[in-house]
Formats: sequence, C-alpha cells, structure tokens
Amino acid sequence: MKYVTAVGDQTYVIEINREGEITVDGVTRRADLRSIDGLGTYSLLIDDESHEALVETRGGEIGVLLRGRFYLIRVQDERERRLAESTRGLVAPAGEISIKSPMPGLIVAVRVEPGQGVKKGETLVILESMKMENELKAPRDGKVGVVRVQPRQAVEQGQTLVTLE
Amino acid sequence: MFKKVLVANRGEIAVRILRACRELGILTVAAYSEVDRSALHVRYADEAYCIGPAPSRDSYLRIDKILEVAHRSEADAIHPGYGFLAERSDFAEACERAGIVFIGPKPSAIAAMGDKAVARATVQKAGVPVVPGTEGEGGLSDEEIIAVAPHIGFPLLIKATAGGGGKGMRVVDHPEGLPGALASARREAEAAFGDGSVYLEKLVAGARHIEIQLLADTHGNVIDLNERECSLQRRHQKIIEEAPSMHVDADLRARMGEVAVKAAQAVQYVNAGTIEFLVDKDNNFYFLEMNTRLQVEHPVTEMVTGVDIVKEQIRIARGRPLRYMQDDIKINGWAIECRITAEDPFDNFMPSTGRITRLAISTGPGVRVDTGVYEGSEITPYYDPLIAKLICWGETRGEAILRMRRALEEFRIIGIKTSIPFHQAMMDSHRFMAGSFDTRFVEERFSLEEETHADPMRVAAIIGTLVAHGEGQKATQVVRAGERDTSNWKWLARWERLQR
Repeated sequence: MKYVTAVGDQTYVIEINREGEITVDGVTRRADLRSIDGLGTYSLLIDDESHEALVETRGGEIGVLLRGRFYLIRVQDERERRLAESTRGLVAPAGEISIKSPMPGLIVAVRVEPGQGVKKGETLVILESMKMENELKAPRDGKVGVVRVQPRQAVEQGQTLVTLE
Repeated sequence: MFKKVLVANRGEIAVRILRACRELGILTVAAYSEVDRSALHVRYADEAYCIGPAPSRDSYLRIDKILEVAHRSEADAIHPGYGFLAERSDFAEACERAGIVFIGPKPSAIAAMGDKAVARATVQKAGVPVVPGTEGEGGLSDEEIIAVAPHIGFPLLIKATAGGGGKGMRVVDHPEGLPGALASARREAEAAFGDGSVYLEKLVAGARHIEIQLLADTHGNVIDLNERECSLQRRHQKIIEEAPSMHVDADLRARMGEVAVKAAQAVQYVNAGTIEFLVDKDNNFYFLEMNTRLQVEHPVTEMVTGVDIVKEQIRIARGRPLRYMQDDIKINGWAIECRITAEDPFDNFMPSTGRITRLAISTGPGVRVDTGVYEGSEITPYYDPLIAKLICWGETRGEAILRMRRALEEFRIIGIKTSIPFHQAMMDSHRFMAGSFDTRFVEERFSLEEETHADPMRVAAIIGTLVAHGEGQKATQVVRAGERDTSNWKWLARWERLQR
C-alpha cells in the first residue's frame, strides 16, 4: 500500500510493502511499530533506531509528539491523492475567510470597520483572555467583510469575529 | 508551629505550598473556584472549600470569602502564594484583624512597596539607586504623563502602579505611540488589578533584569540568597530564569546584596521578598521594584542554595529566627527554570485552552517539575497560562542546559499547545549558551522559525503513516467482515492463491 504523507510543507512517499518493511522515498527499511498502552504511546524501531512518540488522531489528521515537537500529519493513499488532485484548480485560491476566536474571552477593542482594506499582520480585534490582551491579526491582505462583535462582548472559542474578503 | 494553613491560591504554586506544609506536618486547607473543583490543589489539601464562580474577582480575589473559609476550617495562618491577593495590603490587614497570621510581610511594607512611586522614593532615601521616571505618588492623568514624557526620554516604559507580572505594561518608542499605549495599559491594569493608574520609567538600553532573593525574620535579621538572572522575558513576562547569573561576579554580587538588604530594611521588611534590579552594560544597577511575596522563579534559588524558601516563610511567620547567617549561603552549581505555558509559540504566543489529553512529566537526575495540571485536566481561559515549571540543576551552566534539553524532550503533553518548542529553540541558541542576552532579546532578536529538522520530521511521518495504515486495515475488516461468506482465514488463503 502506497501513501503520500504531508508534514507541514514536506511530503514523503511511504510504501508499506509487507508486515515489517517499508520504503520511504525509495529507501527500503525494516519498521516495527508497537502500541505500548493502547492510548497513543507508540514505540517505533526503524532498522535498529528506536523512537517513541505520542500519537493522537484528530479528524482527518494525525498528531505526533516526538522529542518535544508536535507534528500534524496528513496521510493520503493513492486513491485519495488522485481525487484531491483532480479537484484541485476548481477551488478559488482566495475566498472569504473568517477570523475566529481562538479561545473564550472578552472583546476589548475592534480595530476595523466593514469595507476597510487591511494588510497582512494588521490588528483586527483585541481579545482579553488569561488576563492578557491578545491581538488577532489579519492572516493575509484583504477587505473587511462583516464585523460580528463589539467591545465588551464575551465570545466563545471558534466564534466568528470578523470576515475578510 | 501552625496547626493548619490555608493556601489562598491555585495552580502549581498552591501545590508547592501544600507540599511544604505537609513536610512540616501542618494540616492544609485549599480554596477553589467552581471550575477548579478537580484541580490538583483541591485534591492534595486536607480540606477544600468552594469560594465562588470562575472569574478571579468572584473567587480567588474575594477577601471576605477566604477569611470565612479560614474561620470555618479554623486555620491559624494564610499563605497567599503569588498573584491574586499576595500583594494586597488590605488583605494582610484583614488577616491581622481576624487574628489569622498572614505568611508574608506586614501590611505597611506591602503598601510601601506596592505603590511603585512610594517604593522608589523610600528606597532612594535609603541610598538605593533608582531608574529615572515619574516620581509622583498616586496616578498621573494622561495629560500630565504626556507632558512629562519628553523629560524622561524615549524609549520609555508605561507601568501599572498596582502592577506586576507585565500586566498593564507597555514599551513606547516614540511620542506618537504614547496616547494609544496609555489607553491600552490603563485598560489592562484596570482589568487585572482594578486600578488603572500608571507611571513612566526610562527604558535602560541593553539592560539585564537581575533580582536578589531576601529572607528577613521578625528579629531584625536580613540575609540575601544571591541573585537570579531573569532577563529572558516576553511582553515583560519572565520565561526563563537561572541562578546564579553569568553576568554577576563576586564583587557585584556582594554590592547588590548589600543594597537589597538596605532596601528591605527601609520598610522594616519581614519574610521572603525579592528586590528587582536593572543592570546596565557597565554593571551599574538600579532598583526596579520589590516583590513582597514568593516569586514564581524561587525554585532556581532553592536548587543552588539548598534553602527551602517556602518552609522558611512559614517558620518566619511563626516568629522563629532565621536558621542561616549570611555566611552560610553558598552557591552550589547552576539551575535553570523554563516556564511551560499554555501558549502557542508559533502563533504569537496565543493562549491555548482545552483538555490535556496526554501528559508525561520529565524525571531523572537534577530535574524538578512544579505543576498544578494532570492528564485529563482542563486549561480554562480564566487564569494565568502557566502550567508547569521545569527546573534543571547542573554542576555547571553547561550541564544544566544539556539537562534542560533532555528534560524538555521528555516532557510530553498533548491536547493544548505549549511553549516547549520555544524553550527547546532557546536551549539550542548560541546566544543563550553564550549568555549574551538582555531584556529585549526575545522580542527583538530571537526568532522561532518553524524549524525543519529533517530527521525527526521523517520519523514522525513514518509513525503517522503506519498508524493511519493500521487504522485503515482495521476499518476495512470491520466493514467487510459480515459481507464475506467464509472466514477471514479462508478468504486470505484464497486471496493469496490468486496472487501467485
């Protein structure tokens, strides 16, 4: 079974040949993955190299905590990969995006108005949470669509605050 | 000794204090807000009482409720920890009136040092050098501040009069930025301390933040436990501390210690306290403020001096004389503390809330972890994002750094984002290893790129793929099992024949 696995902007072609053998980007190695506690602790021996990781599946992605770093991994088999490639190009690259509250908190200030042009990195909203003021910034250039909140309003995690066109 | 101590705090520091009490054979009482029912401090204490809803102002800041718990539980002393009510002289006074010992300084000393302007004037009179800034006692208006700012010079700092911990603090580089920064500093100070008064202070360029830990008893003895290096800060929150400091030699250490003792004596200080200094490139040092309480970073001092500061606090509050003379205090080795917070270092340290689904804490030689969280605990948006302090001791600074790297790798936490990758990058940074950093290093010259360590990344990809493959296989079996008319084994044998 052949997989294309993405970590950040890196991709690896990983083929699982048979029990205990894999080919990673053309190099064949022995691989022995064991679940240690049935709760996400895994031990991996690649040839004789030993690695231990915590693994958590979240939606379509797999989170791997390895040596203090957390990696989000997307695994696609060949069929999924072909599907994804055939639909690419049909989706507009820059549509409307929603700026959502990353955590529950209190809106301290709203720095933009509907229709206003903003640059990437410009502060849109100031949110107070964990006793600190946090500036929520524009992830890219754009025009402000709707402003859904006002100062002193309490917001929940994931609530849409502002949309960018 | 006290029979029962109430800890008026939560999180790692509440657990730290409860441990000290337990070692001293003192019964303990925890106070908790509604969202903290399952918190570690509640489970660790001998008794626990709910003091109200989640927001601090309705629970951990309610003096009346905490005193009520003290009476109900018949506690004879209260330890306030840090933050919350620790530096509120009205709380210390209320304890005194209620006949309960406040484990800390007298209300008058808290008040004198708590108002930063009064503090500066007081220590200045005692011959302690201070940083130029607004000397006015009480809050200045925006107009007054804007008028006086050019005389102090830019860049300067806005600080909350009632403040601490970087809340309500802003750096202003140019006059144009002053009004906006003033407004947001006042807002933050108002929200954190219920008091929006601020003052200005000159920003000493290239400055290091070095503080002296003090212990003072009720018999007039004051000693210092040497310095802590706290220059690594972000938004004026300390993130990594160490003891001793690479920048302090024996001569500077002796001079700073002497001045710190003088500053404490100026307010008849009793119990544990810390004098914070700014030290410039030429080893001139200026009084910044006194923290009239236990500090977050106290463990690094404990690791190198061998003194248990919390237990000393309790003994002092009981009226015992100090068990150490200045000459007994020696520095043994080196200690570093990394504050592990629920913040995403890859997203501008945005707080991260949620459930800690997996947690394994570093152990082994020279490693100490002070924490208030556990596997399954919920990080709420109501309180400070500090979830654990990882402290490593080494014979030398080099060994402490290598040990910290090892311990950071061992610290496993999933479910929330943490500052661990930031600490790892810092431990790997040449500037940190060389000790060439000042208070603005993190914000101005340290960048945490999403590093692409090729090897671990590939290993992570392999693990992820094998796990996904395993789950895919399982799913196939579950879905298809019923559809086949024969057993899996026969089906497999048939399939294998077809492959030949």
